[in-house]
Amino acid sequence: MRINYTTPCSTDNLRDIRTFISQHLDKTQLTEQEKYQVILAVDEACANAIIHGNQCDCNRNLRLELSIKQDELKIEIFDIGNYRPNEMNWNGRSIDESIRNRKKGGLGQRLMYCIMDKVSYYKNGKINVCSLVKKLN
Amino acid sequence: MKITQTFDSNGTSSIAITGELDASSAIDMDNVIKKAVDSEAYNILIDCTYLNYISSAGLGVFVSYQQDLADQNGRFVFHSMSDKVYNVFELLGLHSIFSIVPTANEAQNLLKGNEN
Repeated sequence: MRINYTTPCSTDNLRDIRTFISQHLDKTQLTEQEKYQVILAVDEACANAIIHGNQCDCNRNLRLELSIKQDELKIEIFDIGNYRPNEMNWNGRSIDESIRNRKKGGLGQRLMYCIMDKVSYYKNGKINVCSLVKKLN
Repeated sequence: MKITQTFDSNGTSSIAITGELDASSAIDMDNVIKKAVDSEAYNILIDCTYLNYISSAGLGVFVSYQQDLADQNGRFVFHSMSDKVYNVFELLGLHSIFSIVPTANEAQNLLKGNEN
């Protein structure tokens, strides 16, 4: 099953994105906590694309493609922004360091990698793709 | 998201959050915490009874003020948090950095130094 969802690049639309994902996760065998976590990971990826990639430009769209297979849940997020997250932005920084330096950022990437089995970024022409995969048992 | 904030005479600000704390509402949370710090209320109680969602943008606000509070011998004390929201703190290891207790009474006692 493959479902698409398109919305303007505004953080005001994050709630609707979460609702969209939530409705379709109900078709999986994920526990309530796992569903909540996946919704969070998607929210983080979309927030990054909206804020850092597209500077909240409502004239641009974010497209999500959700595919549910028997053994795998995959969410891909497509946008045309110019931001590509770098794992090293957060990987080498501890929470203690963020606290000492009064840093707000970097936690979303960390959450995505904690929650999903695979997180990857690639380009398809001018389109940025963030791919999130969760194995379904 | 809705936030209510009160101050008491012993340098504590109590904040109750209702709804979802995400990238669209984190700026409101930041303003409320800043108001507490600017008012020298360095002990901040966060009532999470009606907080049903938190993302990294919300967590980042608390992380970014933690040092300011600690420098003034203050702290955040979260209470009445749902399991789902607590799990997000756990994923990042923040449950061992912030004080998180089950009830409002325990939060008050913790600030008074009466933890049992």
